[in-house]
Amino acid sequence: MKQVENLINELTQQKLERQTRRHFLMDCVSKMGGLALAPLMFGCESGIQKKPSGLNLSERDLNPLAPLPPPFGGKAKSIIYLHMAGAPSQLELFDFKPELAKYHNQPCPESLLEGRKFAFIRGVPNLLGPQANFAQHGESGAWVSDFLPHFSKVVDEVSFLKAVHTDQFNHGPAQLFMQTGSPRLGRPSLGSWVTYGLGTENQNLPGFVVLTSGGKTPDAGKSVWGSGFLPSVYQGVQCRSKGDPVLYLKDPEGMSRDMKKNIISTINKVNKEEFDAYGDPEILARINQYEMAYRMQIEVPEVMNINDEPEYIHDLYGTKPGTESFANNCLLARKLVEKGVRFVQLYDWGWDTHGTDHDGSIDMGLRNKCREIDRPMSALLLDLKQRGLLEDTLVVWGGEFGRTPMQENREGKTQSFLGRDHHGDAFTMWMAGGGIKKGASYGLTDDFGFSGIGEQVSVHDIHATILHLMGFDHEQFTYEFQGRPFRLTDVEGELIRNILA
Amino acid sequence: MIDFILPLFGRFHPILVHLPIGILAFGIILVFLSKKGSTQYLESIRLAFLLGGVAAVFSSISGFLQYQNEGFSWDTVQFHLIFGWATVLASFWLYYEAKKSTSFPEKFKLKSSGLFALMLFTGHLGGNITHGEEYLIEVLPPELQSLLGFEKEPEKGLVLPEQGWEQLAYYDQVIQPIINQNCKSCHNPKNLKGELDLTSYEALIKGGEDGSILTSGNADQSALYSRLILPKDDEDHMPPKEKRQPEKEAIELIKAWVELGGNTSSKLGDANIKMEILEPFFHRMEKPFYPEISVEKVSDESMAQLKSEGFFAELTSENSNWLTVSCINFQDFKDQNWTLLNPIKNQLVYLDLSGTQITDQILDSLQTLPNLTVLKLNRTAISGSKLEGLNSLKHLKHLYINKTQIETDGIKSLDNHPSLEKVFAYDTPISEAEMKENFSFYLEIGNYKLPALPTDTIEY
Repeated sequence: MKQVENLINELTQQKLERQTRRHFLMDCVSKMGGLALAPLMFGCESGIQKKPSGLNLSERDLNPLAPLPPPFGGKAKSIIYLHMAGAPSQLELFDFKPELAKYHNQPCPESLLEGRKFAFIRGVPNLLGPQANFAQHGESGAWVSDFLPHFSKVVDEVSFLKAVHTDQFNHGPAQLFMQTGSPRLGRPSLGSWVTYGLGTENQNLPGFVVLTSGGKTPDAGKSVWGSGFLPSVYQGVQCRSKGDPVLYLKDPEGMSRDMKKNIISTINKVNKEEFDAYGDPEILARINQYEMAYRMQIEVPEVMNINDEPEYIHDLYGTKPGTESFANNCLLARKLVEKGVRFVQLYDWGWDTHGTDHDGSIDMGLRNKCREIDRPMSALLLDLKQRGLLEDTLVVWGGEFGRTPMQENREGKTQSFLGRDHHGDAFTMWMAGGGIKKGASYGLTDDFGFSGIGEQVSVHDIHATILHLMGFDHEQFTYEFQGRPFRLTDVEGELIRNILA
Repeated sequence: MIDFILPLFGRFHPILVHLPIGILAFGIILVFLSKKGSTQYLESIRLAFLLGGVAAVFSSISGFLQYQNEGFSWDTVQFHLIFGWATVLASFWLYYEAKKSTSFPEKFKLKSSGLFALMLFTGHLGGNITHGEEYLIEVLPPELQSLLGFEKEPEKGLVLPEQGWEQLAYYDQVIQPIINQNCKSCHNPKNLKGELDLTSYEALIKGGEDGSILTSGNADQSALYSRLILPKDDEDHMPPKEKRQPEKEAIELIKAWVELGGNTSSKLGDANIKMEILEPFFHRMEKPFYPEISVEKVSDESMAQLKSEGFFAELTSENSNWLTVSCINFQDFKDQNWTLLNPIKNQLVYLDLSGTQITDQILDSLQTLPNLTVLKLNRTAISGSKLEGLNSLKHLKHLYINKTQIETDGIKSLDNHPSLEKVFAYDTPISEAEMKENFSFYLEIGNYKLPALPTDTIEY
């Protein structure tokens, strides 16, 4: 008994020793300040602590993902962005160049090479004619090759941008540029900007979900869905389409749901006391995060499960539950958007067709990749359409750049497979859905498909247009960082009006 | 005399004017505080009117100097100036009245009131010069404004016809409208900021206090263009940053006009202008999606109430009073919960009840939403028997009934609905039905298939 008493005494002593002048001063700041402020904030009704409206807390302070109205009432409420990492060849998919076929295997004219730098091409390469057969499709007469037979049936839903240009010719920087508006690290991704600006409708799900397929994540790493200088709560949440959708979301063995609930409510009770003492809204945000994580544990596995979808939907998308595939991700994207997720970002890896091996060849590997996405992305458009979701969901498709009209000659040698090098002067992207014109085509390229010769659009222009459709003016949508306001489009970007409905 | 002294003294006018106002007002108050026959305050009244008069002289002189140096026109300031000097004379006259008699002067209260009115009116005219004639009117409610006859159409700006825009006179029909919308309010004969008048070509050519603002063929040398493209924080940036800013396309049009020669004879088609630049000015009749009616804003309390009940509720855009409400986080919503939506009945334009516990009963309530434009009833027990009630919704455009048991007969009653544009009825008995009928709206039944192709299975 004596020992216990000693222990208690020692503890009290220690505690007292820890109380220093600093503690006193710190308490002065909060307690005395609070005393002075109390009558100002709560008027005469002293004694009753009302909800802390006097602190001017907005819903956003408590929940950073709380929805906000779009400044200008956008046509789209959510986005599905299909990024083909590695950069697909526009010359085999959408940009039909019969002239190029005539010069197949002939040396590239010097005029095209003057002052140019390529990632791998050295000296004077030969031209490489289109390796696909093209035809016009739909009422809009859009050119699509036989690499995408299913997609050719839905072209009337889509607006093509055929002369997109970027100033980056390596994957990492180009992906960053396409997704964050800057080829260097540190800027928030498109999805982060949109989630920051609009929040999310479904309070049980993250606002910005990332799904990857093709076996690898993009070269630029996770920064392509990072939040940059925005609060990290706006970064993309990567979900796996195979196994647990979010790692460590499941309770560990021996932990029941009730026990988890108890833990969280106890933690939050402690946090609440802390908030009452210090009034720091960050604490409330943390309380909210715990609660959301708890709710997500139920909702995420449910929405990420495609087993319950009817057979004909699986037939439409070509999905096989339990695997990681672009098809599964497309179906998930629809489910997520249907559930009120703001931004769904898909990356499909494997489009870097240099012609160094079979998988990277224009005539074989590329066809295999096309087959993997052709049905799913066409199905996605049809499925969104039949549910009426295409009315306010924007679908964007594209790579980080395009590919050369020339056969690659890595290290000046002749390659045994057909391949094209990186090229950012002119490549094709398409958009569909909320606020986009149906069956339009914008952008012209020269006879070789090397450069844009009219109606060119930049990466910034695409960002400006996407933000416009979500209800933002890209010039006014800023975030204050390091003493100046930052924009997704930096100091550039023009709205592409010709593809707006 | 150093030549900056006078303009500097002129700039003290806005401060100096308060002296006579204060002092004279004090004197007038003392006049009214004086009891009948009492000369108790007379000494102070004399002093107040004397000092007030002297102060009025100083402010009148400074006012005159400001008029001389700051580019105000005589038309604008004439009455302010005349009444200012009248105030000076009136104060000295009252001082004289109070001075000459030992008793309280006759009708002194009436005369003082006259001075007060004079002072008030002079001050008001001065305020109008500094803040603009609409300064007091602007803050009044619109109804009151029109009652006072102050209804003013804002300048419409540039509007181009889609056909024949090439033939428009570049200055008169393009540049002048841009100027009227963006520059005229401060650069007109009445309000000559920088001594610059931009209401006509002749005046524009004359330039302002820094000389010409137009160098034909050289936009960068022309202040008319170059000051528009300065950074917004630059003090020379025009229009001032707190004012409406012209579209960047409008600035491009000004640039092209200056480079074309900056004269009145050229046509818009003469300049090599890209269509993108003109695009924003074409007159397009784009009908807004939501009703063109104005409703009151929902109070913050009602919004907070809705959110705390579990609704997703948000304005359709920052400047709109229309509301989007969804039950995505409130899947237990039942018919009885309808009362929660009653306070926002008029503002509700987009309602998503998908996946909730509602029954056909809800349709009676739905009819009470006068402005509803989008209605989503996906995945609910709605049967369609009462769907015809939606005919009374005169703004309904999109109706979603995916995955319900509604049959073709149910939506037949909506044929010839006055506003309905699209009905989404995927995964319903309608989409299964053999007979396809034509309705006044677009009916989406889905069931899209992508037939298998031989290439689906070929591995290359």
